[in-house]
Parts: sequence; structure tokens; C-alpha cells
Amino acid sequence: MRAFANEPVLELRRAPVRDSLTGALRELDSRLPLRAPVLIGSSEGPDTGVESRDPGAPDRVVAVAGAATLGHVEEAVSAATRGAREWGARSADDRAQVLVAAAERIRARRLELAALQVRECGKPWAEADGDVCEAIDFLEYYARGAVELDRGPALLQVPGERNTMHYAPRRVVAVISPWNFPLAIPMGMVAAALATGNAVVLKPAEQAPGSALALVEALRGAGVPPDVLGLLPGYGEAGEALVRHPGVHVIAFTGSGEVGLSIVRAAAETPEGQGHVKRVVAEMGGKNAVIVDSDADLDEAVPAIISSAFDYAGQKCSAASRVLVHEAVAGALLERIAGAVEVLAVGQAESFATDVPPVIEREAQERVNGYAATGAREGRVVARVERVPAEGFFCAPTVLAGLAPSSSVVTEEIFGPVLAVERVASVEAALDALEASRFALTAGLFSRSPATVAEVSRRAPAGNLYVNRGITGAMVGRQPFGGNRRSGIGAKAGGPDYLLQFVEPRVVTENTMRHGLVVD
Amino acid sequence: MGRMLHESLPSPSRHPVKALDQRAMQLTAGDQELKAALFRFVDVTPACRSLDDLARHLVGFLSEVDERPAPLEAAIRMSSTRPGRRALGAAAAAGVRHMAHRFIVGESPEAAIGELERLWRSGVGASVDLLGEATVSRSEADRYAERCLDALEVLSAASARWPEQAMLERDSAGPLARANLSVKVTALTPLMRAQAPERGRDDAAERMRPLLRRARDLGAHLHIDSESLDSLETTTEVAFELLAEDEFADGPSAGVVLQAYLRESPEQLERVLDWVRATARRLPLTVRLVKGAYWDHELVEARQQGWESPVFERKADSDLNFEQLTRRVLDARPDVRVAIASHNLRSVAHAIAYNRVQGGDDRDLELQVLRGLGDDLQQALASRGLRVRAYCPVGDLVAGMAYLVRRLLENTANDSFLNEQARGAPLEELLAPPA
Repeated sequence: MRAFANEPVLELRRAPVRDSLTGALRELDSRLPLRAPVLIGSSEGPDTGVESRDPGAPDRVVAVAGAATLGHVEEAVSAATRGAREWGARSADDRAQVLVAAAERIRARRLELAALQVRECGKPWAEADGDVCEAIDFLEYYARGAVELDRGPALLQVPGERNTMHYAPRRVVAVISPWNFPLAIPMGMVAAALATGNAVVLKPAEQAPGSALALVEALRGAGVPPDVLGLLPGYGEAGEALVRHPGVHVIAFTGSGEVGLSIVRAAAETPEGQGHVKRVVAEMGGKNAVIVDSDADLDEAVPAIISSAFDYAGQKCSAASRVLVHEAVAGALLERIAGAVEVLAVGQAESFATDVPPVIEREAQERVNGYAATGAREGRVVARVERVPAEGFFCAPTVLAGLAPSSSVVTEEIFGPVLAVERVASVEAALDALEASRFALTAGLFSRSPATVAEVSRRAPAGNLYVNRGITGAMVGRQPFGGNRRSGIGAKAGGPDYLLQFVEPRVVTENTMRHGLVVD
Repeated sequence: MGRMLHESLPSPSRHPVKALDQRAMQLTAGDQELKAALFRFVDVTPACRSLDDLARHLVGFLSEVDERPAPLEAAIRMSSTRPGRRALGAAAAAGVRHMAHRFIVGESPEAAIGELERLWRSGVGASVDLLGEATVSRSEADRYAERCLDALEVLSAASARWPEQAMLERDSAGPLARANLSVKVTALTPLMRAQAPERGRDDAAERMRPLLRRARDLGAHLHIDSESLDSLETTTEVAFELLAEDEFADGPSAGVVLQAYLRESPEQLERVLDWVRATARRLPLTVRLVKGAYWDHELVEARQQGWESPVFERKADSDLNFEQLTRRVLDARPDVRVAIASHNLRSVAHAIAYNRVQGGDDRDLELQVLRGLGDDLQQALASRGLRVRAYCPVGDLVAGMAYLVRRLLENTANDSFLNEQARGAPLEELLAPPA
């Protein structure tokens, strides 16, 4: 296999590239709604009960999916238990070939799959295309990583004994994925599990079954046996049953902190008949701050902050929702951020001219508007885009200032286009504010002082700190991604350690001495 | 032709200050770490709040250089005390200011007039470029447009009093404007979006139209600059759309820029020429041919995204393309006016020679240089009776820094012509065809 390289994103500044995407969207529209049944082994389950709708035009049904029942969960885990034996016995190389072939299948459909995210999740083209590329990256990266891991680490050897260490699959992995990166995030968790020889039961977010189906099609089409990868579209009950199932060995979850912590608690149970302790990989929320020091280049800081806070309407776990700015430049920064927010275009994801798309659903819209109202009451509104389409789940991009450190707007994850700007006396004070937060996913720093960069790198608890750039858009292999504290359990997706979550280490020591003769 | 121009270049020994700067540029060009440290320092200077702050930044950057020349070691030692830092900060600030003055003619159009008149009297025209912060809001775009209107007024009023300069005032197509302003489309709108060029185009057009009207009424020339590839489509569409409007059919004199480092520049030139031939505009459009100032940016972005580089990666390929475009655009006269902007002696000599071989008049070829980098060349060209115009940044030092760093980066690249020349490369090498 050639060395890993990130899949290049589309060059959207070229008009013919944009035209090809518009064409793919038209083609997709002609086939809607998609049909996404429950898939267990070789059998198809029900294909009704769940609908995904276009967040920008809720009348449009994008996919109709089956709603998995508790019975389906039972069947799916049984199938996965069967499938895991044969899949786990294959060589790491064989499995890697299948994953690379799946990447090729995604590549062949990349325009269509980006279009699907535009419709199903209201994700603008640049982000939708980036998500498809990241899914490809995960397949290619973990395929290579698993082959590497299979070689095992070197151990100390002495005469008369042979010591080897290898990594065995944990067997059945439940993947519970969110809607905001509808292909890349489930693909990352599924690919890591499969590459290391496990079978997977995937329970995707009910908002994005269409992308999950595409994921399963690519992997099964590339040679993953049906028993080894099951699809359980549906609601929370199915996910919860899956988490509690004694046949599940690893739970890989990305989503809200509330659900994540309930999974951690549930996974700690060891009911009668369960002969193992479950492993949880949980990637949860964030409350990500950008620190702007007095020596920052505001020409660079302003666009980076705007894009980190408002791209995809702030619905990335890495998105910026706080700015901690040195008081010497606070006035200038606030004025420029306000001016830049006022010109943001709120509109449909399919338009290349849109800066801020809708949020995913009505409940999200109400939550975001609630935080914006709280912020307006407790502080002041610095900027707010009032022109927002009436249909669809749109939220007005809002910048708030003058909030107390205890305000829910600066302590809780909002997951929407709301940004709070706080004035601090120094970078030290900004670091203290980060220290006081229970989240530690991403953080940003704008400073041109090497000493400041070193100090913030040392002290910031964030899993990913970005210096003098935006704080979203982690790339596989370049920015292994994941949070600390209550943001995550510390596994880094797209990094060298991630696969270790899906295997159990085993050491074999063989006596090679026979009656005084060393036979190795 | 190149030898003739070379003979007209002033001897560096007569300009002690210039020689000093040349040594500084040579020093940094030879050491990538030191170059990075000094550029980062120049870049942050305007944001430093005190001499102490300035000194701390300087030492911070220098500490990252592995092998430090003795004077820099001394600077780091100096910074250990507060009075030492003040002295160091003051010296460094003076150094940066001195460098900036070499490139920036004045802090405002009024302040620049004296220097612009001196240039004019020595036979050198100017195109003024207003430096400023990036535009992220409507009010910043409005402010830039205001400054442009003001500059047009100031330049027109002042230049009306200048003495006659035959070479700078007329070519075969007619009279040439004395007042000449270069404008940046990205500064005229906060809506520059590479993937939606129509947003920036429509918004910038609203602010560009009053500039064109004022330039027309004052008889000034307005030149629409090109920047990075992300804004090329927006810029091109603004120029084509506005200049085709009826009210601008007879003026103002206007121009666009063609960047020869772009692989797609030959097609871009054809697009410009097709447009010129299709519009009812009576004044010829001026095409300024440049190598391009965003080479590092374009290449790094392409590498990060995994794209094929939009710019030639070998300098010789850019140079060769520059010569091909030179011939193509000179052949397109009288539909266009031509400005060849380069500090490369061979590129400039090639344009002059090709024009003469084709039977062209020297008046119908303008040569352009950058203030601070092409001073010697402009003198040589003017002394040979050729038409030369200096691109003159105007603005305060804070605003000028980003510009400055970009120019310095470009011109201290290891293979840049100016660097080769300063290093004393033999004339035969400097004038050799690109390969």
C-alpha cells in the first residue's frame, strides 16, 4: 500500500466543480426519498418508522428508514457474534484490502454523498465534501494502522524464552454515531473496529440514516460479510438496548455529554452471563474558546473566529463558542467581529453563497434561540443577523458580550451559531478561564509571541489546540482529534493510538529450552 | 538591450543606505531561520504596545534561531534588563521604520505628494496603492472606498500643477492620465467568497462604480489589482461588468492585471482580449503583466489541500511564460495598452527589444517597478528615455506591514532576480533565457 495521504477536498473556487455538485444534487433529488432498511446479516428488516427531513425545507423527506426494535438489537448482536469469528481470523492485510476497496467505493460516489449531506443534514458543500473526504481518510488510515499494529511491539528477549505480544479483536463493537458528520464520524468508528478484526453493529443518528446506509453499502460491497456489519437505524431505545447488551464488548460513541455519560454508567454493569468488562470510547461535547492576545494579527483572527463559530451554524463539536480577548484589543476585535457577522448570509445549504445554514431540527432551533435570549438578557447583543428564512430551522447568528463567567451561555455547550466574547486582563486570566471549564475539546490562540505560544501549549487542557488559525477541520493523520475532561475519554480519532481501543493485548511467552538445549 | 540597461544602473557604492539594505536582504536570504525570525518580527511590530514589548518579541524570535551571528547574541544579552530592552526596542523600531519608508512613499496621499512629484520630475510616473487592514465589514469597505475617492482628488489636484513630461503624458492611443490609482477589489467588499464570486462582485461593484465615475470626471486612471487566486474570478467579473457599462464607454482610463505565475494565465489573457474586443469601450484597457506576489500562499495552500499547484513551481517556467505573455499582449495593441511590471532585467529587456523588433514605438510600452525594490531599474529605464511607472504604496506603517512582509518574502527567495543580482551573479547569467 502506498503511504497514507489525505483525500484532496474539491476545489470549490472552480465554477465547473460547483456545477458538477449542483448536477449531483439534482440527480439525488430525483431519487428521494431514499430507503434505508434495518440490515442484519443477509436479511432486510423493516424500512419504515424513521424519516430524515431537509432541515432547510422540512417538507422534503430525504430518507425513510426502518425503526429497529429490541428484537432487532438481539438479532444483530447474535449475527455480529457469529461474524466476528471468521472476520477476526482473517489476516490484518486481508481486512485492510477490504477497507481500501470500500474507500474506493466512497470515492466513486463522492459527489452524490456530499449532496446527500446537503439535503439530509443541511450541511453546506464545503463541509459536506470535507466530511466525505474524511470518511475516505479514516478507511485508508486505519487500514494501514491495523497492518502496522498487527506486527506487535518489540519485547525484551533473553536466552531460552521467546516473548511476543499481539493484539486480538475484542469481537463485537456497538457504534453509536451523531448526525453532524453523518458519514465521517460513523465511518471512523466502524473502520477502526473492522480493521482490527471486530464485528460492528451500527446505530446511526435518526436524523441521518441515508448517509449510514451509504456507509454500509460501501463496506459490504467491498467485501465485509453481512454478519460482520449490521445497520440498526432508529431511535434512542435501540441504542440503549445495544449499549446494555451483554454480547457487546466495545461501545464507540460520539454525541452529547449527557448520553455519553449514561453510556459510561451503563457499560460499567456486568450482568450475569457477561464474561467481560465493556470498553467505552466516548467523544462528547465541547465549549471551545479562542484566546486572542494583544499582539494578535486581527486580520487573521477575525475571519478564523467567524468561520470557526458560524460555519455549519456552529454544529461541530470543535466549533468556537467563546472568545477570550486581551482588553488592549477587545474593542477593536469586537467591532470587527460584529461587522463581519452582520454580513453573514443565512440560507439553504445547497447555495454556494450561504455562510450559515439551518440547524438540524426544531428542538435544536428552540434550544439555540433560548441561549441567545438568555445572553441578550444577561449581557448585550453585539451583532445579530436579522434576515433569516422563515421556513426551515434557521437561527440568527448572534454575538454576545458582557456576560458573567457563570452565565449558562459561557459555560454550556450551545451547538449553534452563538458566540460569546469575554474581555480578559491577560493570557494568564484566559488560561484560568479554560481551567475552570469542565470541557476540554478544542481551543484556539492568536498570538505572535513564541513565549506565549509555549505557555498556552503547556497549560491549555484542550485535546486540540490551534495556534493562529481556525479551530475546526481536524485532518486524519495530521490532527488526531479528541477531547479531555468531560469532552471525551482521551482517544484520538485519526491518530496513532486510536486502534488500541478496539483490541485486547496478549503476550505469549514460550520456553525454548529443552533439557539444556536452546531450540529457537 | 539588457546590457545597455545594465550600464545605466547606478553603482551601488554611491548609495550607502541602499547597500546596507541589500546586505540585510542577502543575509536573511542565505539563512532561512534568520529570515523567518526577522520577518515575524517585522510582521508583529505594529501590534507591540511598548518598546519593552517590542524587545521581548524580537528576542523571542531570535531565540528560535540556532546559529546566531554575534550582533544578535549581543541583542539577546541586552534584553535581560529593562533599560536594555528599551534600547533594543527603540533600535529595532527605528530599523523597521527605516525599512518601511523604503517601500511606503507616505502615510497619506497628501504626505506622498512631495515624493510623487520628485519622481515625476525625474521622469517616473506613479500608481498609488492605498494600504490598509483586511476588509471584514461593510464599514471597512466604505472607509477604503472613501480613501480611494480622496486619493483621486488629491492626486488629480496636485499633479495638475506638475510640469510637462512628454514621455509620461501621451502614447499612440492618446493622452495618459497623470493621476493613477491602483485599487483592490477585496478591500471594497467584506463578501469575497471564493466559492460564490457573485457575492463579492455585486457588493464590490457598488463601491467601485463611484470610483470609476470620479476617476472619469477627474481624468485619472484606475487600475484594478489582482490578488490571490481565491479572488481572481470576483476581480475579473467586477472589471468586466463595470467597464462594459455605457457610462464608462469614454472613460475613465482603466486597467487589469495578469499574473504570469498562474498556469492558467494564457487563458486568462485570451479572456481579457475577447472581452476587450466585444465591448463598446472606446479607451483601450491597460493590461499590467506581473509575475505575481502570492506565490508562497498559492503553493502552500495547494500542498495543504492536495491540489495541483495553480502556480508554476519552477521560477524559470514563470519567467518563460512571462515572456510569451509579453509578446502576446504587445501583439494585441492597439486594442490594449501594455504595462510590463518586473525587476528582472531580462524580462524587461525582452519586452523592450520585442517591441522595437516589431516596429513598435517606445511610447507604447510602459514599464513598471515596485517602489523600494525597483528604484535603480526605474532610474536606468528613465535615463534611456523609456516610460516607467513606480507602484507606490501609501499608508501608515501598521497597515503597511503585511504588504511589506509579502514583498520581502518574494524578493529574498533564493532564486529571485534581485537576490541574484545583489549577490553579484554574472550579467550573462542574469540575462540568459529562462531554463
